[in-house]
Amino acid sequence: MIELAQGLIQAKVEGAGTVLVTVIEARGDSGIATGEKCLIRDGRVTAGTVRHEGLREAILRQAAIRLKEERSNLVSLEIPGIEGRVEVFFDVFLADPRLYVVGAGHIAVPLARMAKILDFHVTVIDDRVLFANRERFPDADEVLVAEMAEALKGLPITPSTYIVLITRGHKWDEPCLREILRSPARYIGMIGSKRRVKACFERFRKEEKIAEEVIRRVHAPIGLDIAAETPEEIALCILAEIVKVRRGGSARSLSGH
Amino acid sequence: MDSIYYQVKEFLDRGETVAVATIVSTRGSTPREVGAKMAVTAWGEILGTIGGGCGEADVRREAIEVIQTRKPKMVQVDLLDDISSDSPAVCGGIMNVFIDPWWKDSGDGPVEKK
Repeated sequence: MIELAQGLIQAKVEGAGTVLVTVIEARGDSGIATGEKCLIRDGRVTAGTVRHEGLREAILRQAAIRLKEERSNLVSLEIPGIEGRVEVFFDVFLADPRLYVVGAGHIAVPLARMAKILDFHVTVIDDRVLFANRERFPDADEVLVAEMAEALKGLPITPSTYIVLITRGHKWDEPCLREILRSPARYIGMIGSKRRVKACFERFRKEEKIAEEVIRRVHAPIGLDIAAETPEEIALCILAEIVKVRRGGSARSLSGH
Repeated sequence: MDSIYYQVKEFLDRGETVAVATIVSTRGSTPREVGAKMAVTAWGEILGTIGGGCGEADVRREAIEVIQTRKPKMVQVDLLDDISSDSPAVCGGIMNVFIDPWWKDSGDGPVEKK
């Protein structure tokens, strides 16, 4: 079992998705033991064992589905050659979502800290070392001092990447946005007043002929309307929107008022 | 993603047995989601949470037993019981928690039958 624990840790460190599969219940005479388990990564069993070949194949198939759905689930399997059903739990471990905070100003500080609490892997980027430094961002996983649009070009962007553009002005936001607009990022948000954002999108439409559905991906003005005022409240309103996008909520008060 | 496996591995490295309790299915409103888990040591120390309250305390008790017998066990936590209680863990649902013993040498050899 140490290999299973080791495999889970390794996947977390390497940012890979894994599925821990455990037999929860099987008939006593089936030859399959409760607690039998294995770890699946990249479509292969990388630790632990499932001896029954038919069961192993069914498990590999199911694990791929669960990983795609990003959801842990208890599944009742019917396996040719095995009496009764086999109850199997598929425990899906996803790579931590990544948050790129572009611009290391006053909102970035509480944003990076709160995002760590929410288990994001946080990268802060700014071209000013006075802002992008460890003293300001002790919890961030990475703090990069670099030209921001250029840095975004070099960073991996996947469907579990969330990007927040909060640079010191549209002069910097726009080239960054251009860089990531067609990426597979799960969330792109850009700060700015309604008027500024509108002007930026107008330019994108007219001068660069960027399609409407591409522009519509951008959450700008950024965040949920909770009438945030302080930098901390604005950070919360941005993260609330990110969680909403990630989990698929409505962002309405559960009480209905 | 849960990181209790860092600590679980440390316990296994030291030759100790721990129990990992995972919510495998739920019905109704429950304090935590399917896949939420906690590890319990032989001394009853808890790493992680499956929602706190009485339900978690029950699971902890069962987990200590699982460590002793080294036999996995399914436990149903019924949060319908005491709806009038002001404990935050009273959500009104039911959750099934699988408690699984982990120790260094298990896994490769023959797994104990239930």
